[in-house]
Amino acid sequence: MKILRTANEGFESLAANKLRTCFMMAGTVVGIAALTVIMAIGKGTESQVMRRVENFGPRAMMLVAGGGRTIGPPDASVTTLTLPDARAIRDEIPGLEIVTPQAWQMGAGLRYGGNQIKATMWGIEPEWHDAWNWYTAEGDGITDEDVATMARVCVIGSSVKRDLFGDADPIGESLYINKVAVEVKGVLQRRGVAGASGGDFDNRILLPITTAMRRVMNVDHIGGVRIITSDAGRMAEQAEQITRLMRIRHRITPPAEDDFRINSPLAIAEVVRGTSGTLTMLLTGLAGLSLLVGGVVLMNILLISVAERTAEIGLRRAVGATRRDIFHQFLTESLSVTFLGMILGSALGWGVSLAIRRLTTMPVVLSWEPLALAIGFALLIGTFFGVQPARRAARLDPVEALR
Amino acid sequence: MIELEGIEKTYGSGEVVTRVLQDISFEIQPGQYVAIMGASGTGKSTLMNILGCLDKPTDGHYRLDGTDMVELDDEELSHLRNHKIGFVFQQFHLLQRTTALKNALLPLIYADHYPEDAEELAEEALAMVGLSDRIDYRPSQLSGGQQQRVAIARALINNPAILLADEPTGNLDSRSGTEVMAIFQRLHRDGRTIIIVTHDRELAEHAQRVIVLEDGQIAEDRRISQPRDAQAELAALAPAEENDG
Repeated sequence: MKILRTANEGFESLAANKLRTCFMMAGTVVGIAALTVIMAIGKGTESQVMRRVENFGPRAMMLVAGGGRTIGPPDASVTTLTLPDARAIRDEIPGLEIVTPQAWQMGAGLRYGGNQIKATMWGIEPEWHDAWNWYTAEGDGITDEDVATMARVCVIGSSVKRDLFGDADPIGESLYINKVAVEVKGVLQRRGVAGASGGDFDNRILLPITTAMRRVMNVDHIGGVRIITSDAGRMAEQAEQITRLMRIRHRITPPAEDDFRINSPLAIAEVVRGTSGTLTMLLTGLAGLSLLVGGVVLMNILLISVAERTAEIGLRRAVGATRRDIFHQFLTESLSVTFLGMILGSALGWGVSLAIRRLTTMPVVLSWEPLALAIGFALLIGTFFGVQPARRAARLDPVEALR
Repeated sequence: MIELEGIEKTYGSGEVVTRVLQDISFEIQPGQYVAIMGASGTGKSTLMNILGCLDKPTDGHYRLDGTDMVELDDEELSHLRNHKIGFVFQQFHLLQRTTALKNALLPLIYADHYPEDAEELAEEALAMVGLSDRIDYRPSQLSGGQQQRVAIARALINNPAILLADEPTGNLDSRSGTEVMAIFQRLHRDGRTIIIVTHDRELAEHAQRVIVLEDGQIAEDRRISQPRDAQAELAALAPAEENDG
């Protein structure tokens, strides 16, 4: 095939001028590498968003005491959120499947025999199990009766079981939480370490909310309300309604700051995306700039090369190369430069992505999509910036070129 | 068979028209060795470009083996150059970063069918000009005479109907130049049609026939009864160093 032979002339010219070829390639390499990293981070972020949303519950909202920060545990110093607030939401906002209040204490001291650990204490109602879709693996969960009677019972997470009881059966045993004795009536299913926060979800102890508030913490306020809507599509609207209700109940008029906040999958996704957004924007700029500058450099070097090789082009024409043959040769040079640049750039991008995954907490997922996009870009740039020089080479008058 | 009939070449248009060639008509039979001679500016380069199908006349007809090149488009002319014409230039025009072998087979790249034995053909062509031991050398590693011989090998590889040489010895010392002329005479004896374009009368007298141009017109067209013998001239020169070339 003649087209393969003329293409080969292009390859040989590149191979013979290695330094020039490197300069022609640099922009593509950097651009494609940046593109690959962007996509790896983008994909990693999205998969983390999915995971976090899945963990949080796609139909779940969380009303949390304390304004300001967008995610994280409630602010223990804020005492304005109460059980009547939770009841008001349940009674006044339509379309909610579960509304269940929770009391929190981070780092509550637990003791059993000689073993002492710290765990997160949750004061809950029985609906908590449904709201988190999280049930006991052994024994029973918290019941309405437990709540009504302020029973001295608890359900423990698997990490607490392991750390306090080892291999022994904890059911029916009594442990101390802040000097209050509670009897273990169940052990939760294991959930494992959650997401990028790295918290151990299983290092927790559940008490009836009344027991937690009155006997252990001695407070009147709660930490938050877990809300499950029956229609995820109405979540934003319901969050708005809850906000209005809470402002009325807490006598807050903007611009005064809210003393509560509502976490939702949307808010979580926003936060997760936010951490990688700046870097992605930076890299997108770098990728775009590199590809553009790289393309212009490529075109200029090719144009210089056409000028320098005028005699060569004339000679090729004299020995029988058609305009099209010359065009093919120069387009091949341009395309193989960007294609080689694409391969090197992809390799570099994968390397950098792997390094980011190893050295930072940023989520990175490698996939075939960046490679496909890179191939597309290589062809696009190679063609776009290669056609003009190739056309100029092809249009040279052999008589002039040989003079 | 080359037939030129009323060839004219003018540049420019309107009032400023430069007439470079005027009423050029001649025939060259296959196997002839012809020198086209003239001082610079007499239009011999233009004539040579037309003979080589690199340029078209403004008027007239040029038939090469019966085909009138005036009617051909760029693609067909390229094809014609590839098949019928072998060029040798004053500046050699070799690809610098490429071996003698690759330089010699360059025309085959642009042929319709790339012969499987292209490299052997190139080796044969290089052997014909005495460069069998230089096939892997690059132009920078060769002397001027050797470079011009690579160019001749390249011109021969497609077995062309005409070998067209433009001041082929212009950049060579007299010994190398004479060697190149000896090669042309040998090729002529083997039956090739050779046209050299030169301003040098002595060089022209190596041919059988000299066409002299003056002011774009044929001033003289004569046979040389006793062409100079380059091989004999070479023998008369002082012996060169080995491979000086």
